[in-house]
Amino acid sequence: SSGSGKSTFVNTLCESPVILRKDHLDAEKAAAPKTINITPTTIEMDEDGLKLSLTVVDTPGFGDNINNEPAFADILEYIEHQYEEILSQESRIKRNPRFQDNRVHVLLYFVQPTGHGLREMDIEFMRTLGPRVNVIPVISKADSMTPQELNAFKKKVMEDISHYKIPIYDFPYDEDEDDEETIEENTELRGLLPFSVIGSEDEIVLNGRRVRCRQYPWGVVEVDNSKHCDFSKLRYMLLSSHLHDVKDITHEVLYESWRTEKLSKEGHHDDDEEEVVID
Amino acid sequence: MAPGPVGATNVSVGIANLPNQRHKIVSRKGTNFTVMVVGESGLGKTTFINTLFTTLMREYKRPEHRFNKQMDRTVAIDVVRADIEEKGFNVRLTVIDTPGFGDYANNQDCWVPVIKFIDDQHQLVMNHETLPNRKIDDLRVHVCLYFIQPTGHTLKPLDIEVMKQLSSRVNLIPVIAKADTITPAEMLAFKERIRDCISTHDIQVYSPAVHSDDEETTRRNTSTLAAMPFSIISSENDVVVNGQNVRGRQYIWGVAEVENENHCDFKKLRNLLIRTHMHDLISTTHDSHYEAYRVSKLTAEGRTDNDPAISARRNFEAKMKEEEGALRKRFAEQVKVEENRFRQWEQKLISERDRLNEDLDKQHTLVKQLEEELEEIIAARKR
Repeated sequence: SSGSGKSTFVNTLCESPVILRKDHLDAEKAAAPKTINITPTTIEMDEDGLKLSLTVVDTPGFGDNINNEPAFADILEYIEHQYEEILSQESRIKRNPRFQDNRVHVLLYFVQPTGHGLREMDIEFMRTLGPRVNVIPVISKADSMTPQELNAFKKKVMEDISHYKIPIYDFPYDEDEDDEETIEENTELRGLLPFSVIGSEDEIVLNGRRVRCRQYPWGVVEVDNSKHCDFSKLRYMLLSSHLHDVKDITHEVLYESWRTEKLSKEGHHDDDEEEVVID
Repeated sequence: MAPGPVGATNVSVGIANLPNQRHKIVSRKGTNFTVMVVGESGLGKTTFINTLFTTLMREYKRPEHRFNKQMDRTVAIDVVRADIEEKGFNVRLTVIDTPGFGDYANNQDCWVPVIKFIDDQHQLVMNHETLPNRKIDDLRVHVCLYFIQPTGHTLKPLDIEVMKQLSSRVNLIPVIAKADTITPAEMLAFKERIRDCISTHDIQVYSPAVHSDDEETTRRNTSTLAAMPFSIISSENDVVVNGQNVRGRQYIWGVAEVENENHCDFKKLRNLLIRTHMHDLISTTHDSHYEAYRVSKLTAEGRTDNDPAISARRNFEAKMKEEEGALRKRFAEQVKVEENRFRQWEQKLISERDRLNEDLDKQHTLVKQLEEELEEIIAARKR
C-alpha cells in the first residue's frame, strides 16, 4: 500500500531517482478513492559490465482505498495482458522481430511490518497473483523492527505462506541436477525470505565512505549493510544471480500454464486438429 | 429567577475551601476511565497500553491461534478492565481494543461496530437515567486514540472516514504509531500534512484549552498542542543506556527511547491523558458528547422541550397495544392451523384404523371358512 517504501526502494535499487513523488500528498485528494495507476518505467543499467534494461512497474494507490478488491483485478489484468500480447505475437504468420517482451518477470509484494504475520489482504492478493507471476514477498521499512522481532516476523510470514499454500518464488532447486553451489545458494536465499529492505536516497559520509542511510536521533541505519537489512542480497539476486532463472520460470512455467488455460477455455484441446487462431 | 446581589465576602467564610472538599471526595471515590484504541493490527496498540500504564494489561494474541481468525473479516470489540492504584488514588481503568479493524482487502463499514459500541454506551446511560436505580457500570468512552500508520505520506481514505465518524461522538486523539520508522525531518512534514488533512476535512480532534492562569501551564499546553498528532514509540522492555535503565527498543544501530522527548511524544501524550487532562476528558465526554447524543436521539424520536414525556408514553402505549393485537391474531391463526392439521391427522388415523379392522375381519372370516372346511374334511374322513 501507499507509504510502504516502494518508490524509495526502486530509486535505491536503480541508484537514481526513477520514480518521483507525486500528488498523493495532497490533503484534499486524500479522501477520494484512487484508481491504481499502473505505470512502467524503463531505465538502462550497467550491472557488472553487463548492460541491463530494467523495467519497473509501480502501482501507486494500491491498498489505499477502503475497498481494495478491484485493485487485484486491475493488476492481474495488466500481467495477463502482457501474456496475451505474446500469445498473439507467437500466433502470427510473420512475427515481428523487434517485438518487445513486456512480461513481468518478478512481482515484489511489500508486506507491512506489523509483527503479526500476513493480513487477509496480503494472503488474498498473493494467492490471486502467484499462479501468474513470480511473487517475492518483501518486508519494507525493516528499520521499525528489532532483530528478534524481524526474525519472529519472517518466521510467521513463512508459516502463513505454507499454511495457506500461497505460491511464491522460493528459489527452487533440483537436488539431482544442480550443483552444490547452486543448492547452497538457493537454500540460503530461501532462508532469508521474506527479504527485509530499507530504502534511502540520501547519502552521508560515514567513517570516510559515502553510505546510503537513514539518520535517526538514536543511530544511523545503513542500506547496504547486510547486518541491517537484506537489501544488498535482494539486489544481487534480482539483477545478477537469479535474473535468468526468474525469466525462465516466467516463460516456461507461468506463461505456458496461462496459455494452456486460456486456449482450453476457448475450446481448443490438444487432440484437436484445429490450429491456433491466426491473426 | 433573577440573580441575587453579587459581591465578595470581606471575611473568609470558607467558600475557597470548596475545591479541597472536592479533592477529598474524588480521591476517596476514585474514578472511572475508559480508553479506546482504534487502528490496524500491528501498529503497537497493545504495547502502547501496556507501556502507558506500566502494567501488562493486555496479553499479545497467541500466534498459533491466528489461523482461526485471519480470514474472518470481522471487527471485534475487546474490553479489558483493571484497577490501578497510585498513592492511594484508585482508577478503574477500562481499555477497549478493536481487533480486526482495517485489516482486510475490503474494509467497507469496518468502523460500524466501533461506532455502535460508543453509541450503545451513551444509550445505556440514557436509559438508566430514568430508572429508579441509577448506578450502572459506566462504559462511556472518555478518549479514543486513533493509530495512524507511519506511511510518511498523508492520511488514508479509511483514516479520514473513521476519524470523521469518531470525532463527532467521542474525544478523538490521533497518534502516529511506530514513530521510530520516521526520521525527525520526515516526521515534521508528515505531521504538517496530517494537520492539513484534518482541517481540510473538518475533523474535530480533541484539543485541550490552551490558556490558563499559570504561565507555565499555558506554555506547556501550547507545546502540547503544537506536537499534535503525537508520535509514539512503545516498549515494554528496559534497555541500558549510559548506565541507566530506560524503556526503549534496542536496534543494531542504537536505542530508541520511549521517554526521550527528542525521540517521540510519548511523554506529552501520557501527561495529557493522565496527569493533566484526564478529568477534562471525562467531563467533556459527559457534558458535550453525551449531551449531543441525547439531543439527537430525542429529537429523532419527535420530542421537543415543550412536550412532556406523557405524549411519548401515549404513543408508546398505543404502539404496544397494536403490536399486542397483532401478536394475538397471529397466535390465534397459528392455533387454528395446528388444529386443522391435527384434525386431518385424526381423520387419517381413523380411516387407517377402519381399513385395518376390515382387513382383520376378512382374515377372520377366511380363518372361519378354513376351519369349517377342515371340520368337514375331518367329518368326511370319519364316515
